[in-house]
Order: sequence, then structure tokens, then C-alpha cells
Amino acid sequence: MAGYRPERDRDSREWWERIGRGEFAVQVCDACGTARFPARAFCARCRTEGAHWREVAPEGVVESWIVNHQPFVPGLRAPYVVVMVRLAEVPGCFVYGNWRGLRPPEHGERVTASYTRVDADLTLVDWRPGP
Amino acid sequence: MPKRLLAFSDQTAIAGVGYTPFAKNSGVSTLTLACRAVLAALDDAGLSVDEVDGLATHRVGDSAAPTLVGPALGLMDLSWHLDQFGGGSVSHAVVGQAALAVATGMAETVVCYRAINARSEFRMGGTGRGVPVSPEVQYQAPYGYVAPPQQYAMYARAHMLKYGTKAEHFGLLAVTQRANAAKNPRALMRTPITLDDYLAGRWIAEPFRLLDCCLETDGACAVVVTTAERARALRRPPVLISAAAWGGGTTHLSGAGADPTVTAAAALAPRLYAQAGIGPGDVDVAELYDCFTYSVIVQLEDYGFCAKGEGGPYVASGATAAGGPLPVNTHGGFLSEGYVHGMNHIAEAVSQLRGDAGERQVPGAEVALSTAQPGYILPATSALILRRA
Ligand SMILES: [Zn+2]
Repeated sequence: MAGYRPERDRDSREWWERIGRGEFAVQVCDACGTARFPARAFCARCRTEGAHWREVAPEGVVESWIVNHQPFVPGLRAPYVVVMVRLAEVPGCFVYGNWRGLRPPEHGERVTASYTRVDADLTLVDWRPGP
Repeated sequence: MPKRLLAFSDQTAIAGVGYTPFAKNSGVSTLTLACRAVLAALDDAGLSVDEVDGLATHRVGDSAAPTLVGPALGLMDLSWHLDQFGGGSVSHAVVGQAALAVATGMAETVVCYRAINARSEFRMGGTGRGVPVSPEVQYQAPYGYVAPPQQYAMYARAHMLKYGTKAEHFGLLAVTQRANAAKNPRALMRTPITLDDYLAGRWIAEPFRLLDCCLETDGACAVVVTTAERARALRRPPVLISAAAWGGGTTHLSGAGADPTVTAAAALAPRLYAQAGIGPGDVDVAELYDCFTYSVIVQLEDYGFCAKGEGGPYVASGATAAGGPLPVNTHGGFLSEGYVHGMNHIAEAVSQLRGDAGERQVPGAEVALSTAQPGYILPATSALILRRA
């Protein structure tokens, strides 16, 4: 996969570095304790800066998925499945990745992150069924 | 809830509409398309170019700005102009902004246009243009998840899983809109289709098939906004701008939206209706942003025409077809007329309220709702309520 390489920015660099080490972490607001993803400077709840990274369970449930029948990004081979996962430990937050199951996803099923090492500089987060 | 805005509602009007032909390859620049549509709208209104003192558009780096179109038409001193960033989310906001400018006297005659070579030059569907610029793209594009048909398919499936919405519901919507397009000489696709044709279509991104997706189109469309008073003195029956509203939305990555089956239209609708002093039951015809079939179904719910989750069965009941209680996308919409990013929805609403929509006229239409992309992907939306004067 990875026909497109993520353009890391000043907010997101640490997220990608931690993923590269196989660590699934999100920012937690120093002031009010709200977890947030994707990475950014301000807490949307209490509008303060200042956060620390906390490793969370790389788990969630399947909210939706699509089966792509054309390569929407150069370098990908169709068909491929993108799954939308509701993160267990970050309320109201969805993440996306490719499906690493041998069967199609099921609505509401528990899934766990599966790290796909593309090369020395890039690791992606995919999802597989089960805890 | 804002009070009815007496200084805004019905103070401005749309006095003319103009189109270029819709095509797969216009063969000309977006600047040429924009100029043609602007001139056509002014001709429709019975105004000369020299009477224009404002120009407005929206674009995503794919079209000619007002600062280019103005001088190209010899307009060297516009007193107001707007070059709004964005796609279909802001189409109706552009006309709302123009109405604000006219209502406050910043300008008297503003032409709003959208000109795109969306088929031959810049395809929104994922080919021929780069990956969109947004920090959130980095968490999606590496997985091959980047184009609107994919994102809408994802939300559509979430709706199917939660409410039991079926492929047949999407299909019947496409069939209904094609039947409308068959009566529209401007429409690119006029051959009637059946539910079987829809179901036999190739997959794009499951659950979406080919006929779930709109027609990427080359073309331009423009509308003339002026004061209601002045519009009454012009050649065409004026169509009043009763309400204009802007809304938020969510990318569904930021944590702002816990339910992907509810759009920003649900929050916008109450203030839009309140501004016009009406409710959904007063709407005679609706032109709802239909980049994909699902977009219409979710808006039927979020604008209050049916209960949440009932959008599919509502369409299947025939309610949105010609002759039904709420005719929707009477021109065929983006699915069958062509995709000019929203301006053609506004122009069709104007035709319906003027009573000049020919074979597809909704008898006695007095109030129209026209909407922009309901706030998925780019977290913004906008909508207008128009009324026959
Ligand atoms: Zn906080």
C-alpha cells in the first residue's frame, strides 16, 4: 500500500514517530484531561494549549467500510477495503485504515490496530478483527 | 435561535439566471465559461454589463476569480467582490454573501457565478488533480481514502447499517431524478433509467455504484442578485431571497461529530426556516445538493421533511418525484443535469418560482429550498430559501 506518503506537519510529527515505534498514543489535555486526535495545539473543550501523550489501547469498533473498485490513489491495487473505526478510548473520534481481515468487516465488531511497516521512515495503521 | 432578520429577509432578489451549455469538454477556459454565464444572466435580467458593481464566486483553485472576470468584461472598478475558497459546501454561501452586500448597499448588482471544467481539466473524483490540502488528509490518503465518492460511500454505509437504508432507495432516487432530467433540455443525461439499470451499474466504491455518482461536468452558471425593489422593475418576475444560512460540519476525524449519519444541515435548518418564517411543510420544491444519491436522502431527514432514518423509504414512496408532495431536483440534479457545484440548483429553483420551468414546472410553486453540500468532508454548509415575489 502507501501510494501516497503522509505529509507530516508540526502538529502531527510526533504521532507518526510514535506509530513508527509501534506505540498508539493520543494527546491528552493537561488542564482538563480530554483526549484528542488528530494531534493539534489546542484542546477544543477548554481552549488551552499544553498536552501530554498517552498510550491508549489501539482498539475500536467498526462504524463503516467501503470496498474500492478503482485505485483512487496512484500505486494502489483495486479492490481494497478502507474501514472507519470508532476509537475505544477517544470519545467521538474516528480513524481510518486498510482492512487486514480475511473476510469482510462487520458492523460494530471489535478491531485492533495492525502496523504495516512500509519502509524505515513510514509505518501505517491498519485494522484487523478481534481484540 | 436567531430572530427573523427583518433587515435581510426578502430585501434582495435574484433577477436573472444564465448558463453555458453543459458538456464533457467545453473546449474553452474557465474564464471564458465565466464570462459567458455572467453575460447570459445579465441578458436574462435585462441589465447591461456596465450596471454590474459586484462579482462573486467560489472555487478550489480550479476557476477564474472575480478579479480576472471583471477586467475581462471591462469592469475596472467593482465596488464589491468575493472569491470564496471551497467547493459545493459554499455554493449557496456565495449567493448569501452577495445578498448581504446588496442588502447593506455595498453593491447594487452582483453577479454570482461558478465556472468549471470539472470533466476535461479538474476532476473532483480523484484523477487529474492533487490530493487536497488539509492536515487531516495525512491520516486518510495513505490508505487510498481521498476522493468524495469514497467518503460519501463510507457515510452512506453507516446510514444503511444504522437505519436499514437500502441500495434500492439510492437507486429509486437516481431513477426519479433521471425522469426529471428527461424533461430538461439542458440536462446531459436524458435517457430514462430503471432500478435494474441502477443495480447493474459497476461498483465505484461499495456501497456506491456508477449511478450513485454525479456527472463531472464542464460548464458555468450565474445568477444576478440585486435589491428586491430594483428587481421588481426588471424584465423577469423577481425571486426573493427569504433566508440565507451558513453552517458548520465535521470531517469525522476531529472528534466533533459522534454520529456520521447526521449532517450539519440538521443544525442549520432551524435557523434557516426561522429566518424565512416558515417550516419544511411550506416548501413547494427542493433542489438538494446531490453529489451522490445518499446526500439527498440524508438532507431530506436533516431539513425535516421526514423522520431521521426515513429518507430512503420517503424517496421510495414517490414523495420526491414530479407530482409528489415535495418534488426534489426537478432539473435532474448533478446526477443527471450536470454538476456545476450548486449554482445550477439555485438557478433551477429560480426557474420554478418564476414559473418558466416548462415541462418540469411544479404547479404553483411559491417557496423553494436550495442547498449546498451538507457539511461532510469540508466542515461547512450553506442554504437558501427563495420565494416568489
Ligand atoms: Zn482541555
